[in-house]
Amino acid sequence: MRKKSNILKTLFGIVLLVFLLAACNTNDDGATKDTSDGSDSSGNEAASDIEVVFIPKMTGNAFFESGNNGAQAMAEEIGFEVKYDGTPEGTVANQVQIINSAVSSGADAIAISSVTSDGLNQALQNALDAGVKVVTWDSDVDPEYRTVYINQGTPEILGAMLVDMAAEQMDDPNAEQQVAWFYSSPTVPDQNSWVDYAETYIAEKYPNWEMVTKQFGEGDEQLSLQIGESIIDSYPDLDAVIAPDSTALPAMAQAAENKGLTAEDLIITGFASPNSMRQFIENGTILNHGLWDVTDQGALAVYIAYYLAQGNELKVGDTVDVPNIGEVTVEPNSVQGYDYEAEDSGIIVLPERIVFTKDNTNDFDF
Amino acid sequence: MLGKIPKWNLMLGFILITEIIIFGLINPRFLNITILLNSFNDFIGIAIIAFFVTFVVITGGIDISGGAIIGLTSVVIGILSQVIGINIWISIILAILVGGLCGLLNGMLIAYGRVQAMVITLGGMLLYSGVAIVFVGLSGVSTYEGISGFPQQFSNIAYGKLLGIPHSVLLFFIMFAIAYVLLYWTRYGRYIYLTGINQRAAEYAGINTKKIITSTYVLSGLSAGVAGVMLTSYLGSSRADFGAEYLMPILTVVVLGGTLITGGKGGVVGTALASIIVGFLQIGLQMGGVSTQYIGLSTGLLLIISAAFLGISADFKSSIKRIISPQKNSA
Repeated sequence: MRKKSNILKTLFGIVLLVFLLAACNTNDDGATKDTSDGSDSSGNEAASDIEVVFIPKMTGNAFFESGNNGAQAMAEEIGFEVKYDGTPEGTVANQVQIINSAVSSGADAIAISSVTSDGLNQALQNALDAGVKVVTWDSDVDPEYRTVYINQGTPEILGAMLVDMAAEQMDDPNAEQQVAWFYSSPTVPDQNSWVDYAETYIAEKYPNWEMVTKQFGEGDEQLSLQIGESIIDSYPDLDAVIAPDSTALPAMAQAAENKGLTAEDLIITGFASPNSMRQFIENGTILNHGLWDVTDQGALAVYIAYYLAQGNELKVGDTVDVPNIGEVTVEPNSVQGYDYEAEDSGIIVLPERIVFTKDNTNDFDF
Repeated sequence: MLGKIPKWNLMLGFILITEIIIFGLINPRFLNITILLNSFNDFIGIAIIAFFVTFVVITGGIDISGGAIIGLTSVVIGILSQVIGINIWISIILAILVGGLCGLLNGMLIAYGRVQAMVITLGGMLLYSGVAIVFVGLSGVSTYEGISGFPQQFSNIAYGKLLGIPHSVLLFFIMFAIAYVLLYWTRYGRYIYLTGINQRAAEYAGINTKKIITSTYVLSGLSAGVAGVMLTSYLGSSRADFGAEYLMPILTVVVLGGTLITGGKGGVVGTALASIIVGFLQIGLQMGGVSTQYIGLSTGLLLIISAAFLGISADFKSSIKRIISPQKNSA
C-alpha cells in the first residue's frame, strides 16, 4: 500500500506539472492586463490590453490559415492580442463552445467566420450581453447578432465578377453559350446570392447564354470530383462551368484534367485560393479564377474588432482609416440584401478582389 | 469515512479541486460560479452518454455509436417537428425512443448474435450517421445547413434556468442520480457487475446475462437520445453531424473515471468526476489562452497517465495478494 501512495504522489506531481506548463504559456499577458479600460483610443498602453479572438470555420484549411496570417501581422503592427481559436472539425458545437469560452475568459472582441447562418445566434447574444464586440468575416451570421460584417464583396460585385471572368475567355460572349453552375449547396446563403445576381446580370448583358444546370458538391472533395466528371459527361456541348466554391472549383478543374480537356475545350472559372489552383493554371486546364485577398480580410476583421473594443462606435456611413489597407466605409446591411437595418449594424466591403492568371498567380501565397 | 470512498475517486476529486484552483490563479474569472455552471452545456452530452457507456463497459462491452445516435436523434427531432409538424414535445420523446431502438439493435446483435461489441457498434456508428444523412436528404433540406426554426420553449431546454441553476447542470445530476441508483442500489446493478466479472459464472448463477447486456446498450442509446435533444436545443438547429466529435471524449471520460476497459470494475461516480475534469480542463485551458486545437494534447496526457496508473495499480494488487495470501493460508 505504501508503494501505491508513492505512485499517487508522483502522478499527482506530473498532473501539477502539466497544469503549470499550461500556465506558463500566458503568464506574460496576464501580467500586462491592468485596470485601464479601453476607452482611451490614443495610446499603445490601451492597445496591448485588448484581446480579439479570431475564429475560423476550421483550422488546417489554407484559406483560414492565410486569414490568420493577416490577422496576426495586423495585431503585431498595432500591438494588440489576437488569439486564433478553432478546431479541425468545423462544427457548430465547436464554434459555440469557442465563443462561450472567449466570453468567459474576458476577451474584448471576437471576429468569426460562421459555419452556420443561425446556429450561433444564442451564443453570440450571450457574447453581446457580456459586452463583447462581435465582428464577422468571410461568412456572416444574422445581422442582429454582429456589429460589422467584413464582406469579400456584395452579390453585385462578385456575381458580375464571375460572369465577366467567364465572358472574357469566350471568342464571342454574345453568341449562344451553354453555362453550368457548380457550387456547394442549394441553401448556402453567400454563394447563392452571388449566383442569383449573376443570373440577372447575364439576362441583361448576355441574353443568349443558356443556364443548363446547377450542381452541388456539399463542400465534399470526393463528391465534387464525381459531380465535376458527370457534368462533363452529361453536357457534351457545354461551353463554361462557373464554380464559386473553394471545393467545387479545384474538383471541376481536376475532373477536366482527368478527361483530358483544356481551357480551349471547356471554360472553367470561379472562386478558390491561388495555391489550390496554381497547378491547373500552369498546365493550361484553366485560364483564370478569382478571389479576394483573405490575408487582408483577416487583418481588416481583427482591426475593426480592435477598433470597436477600444470603445469606438461604428455607425452606418462612418469611415475608418485602416493601416496598410486604407480607408473603408461602413455600408448599410441592404448591400448584402438583408432586411435588418440598424444604426450599429453594417457591412464593410473589402476594397479589392483579384483575378488570378498565369501572370500573377505566383505573386500570392494563400 | 474517507476510507469508504474508492481511492481512484478520491484522486479524481483531488485533481478536480487542484484544477479549479490552478485555473483560478491563471484567470480569476474561471472562479466565477456562473461561468462554471454555464460551461456544463458544453460537455453535458459527453457526460450523460458516458454514464451509461460506463454500464456497457462494466459488462465487458464497448459502445462507440453514441455520437452517431446524437446526430440521428437531432435529425429525427428536426424532421418530426419542423418538416412533418408534430408537437415538439412528442417529437422529443419519439426521438429519444429512436435512440433507444438503435441501442436495442446494438445490444441484440452483441448479446444474442455473440458478435464483438466493437464491430457491431462501429457498424452502428456508420449506419446511424448514414441514416441521419439520408433522412435529411429526404426531407429536402441540405445536409450542409441543417433544420432550424425551433420554438423558443425548445431552446429553453438548454438555455433555461431553474432557481438560478442552468438546466444542463440539473440534467447532469438527474442522469447521474438515475445511473447511480441503478448501478448501486438495485439488483440490476449488481447483475451488471457480475456479468462483467465473469459472464459464464453469472449465467450459471441464474442471471440472464444476455438480457442484462442488451439492456445496457438500450440505456446507452436512450442517453445518447437525451444528449441529442440537449445538443439540438443548445445549438438551435438539427444537423446530422452533431455529436460526430464525441466518440473519443466519451471513452476518455469513462476510462479516466476508473472503469476497467476489460469490464467488471468501475462506477459512475468516477465517470461523473472525470467528465467534469475534462470539461473544466478544456474551458480552463482556453481561458488560460491555449488554442482549442491543442487541448486534445492535455486530455491525452491525462488519459494515458491515468490508464497507466490503473494498470499498475491492478498489477500491484494482484502481486500484493500473491505475497500475502500464502501466508494467510499457512497461518
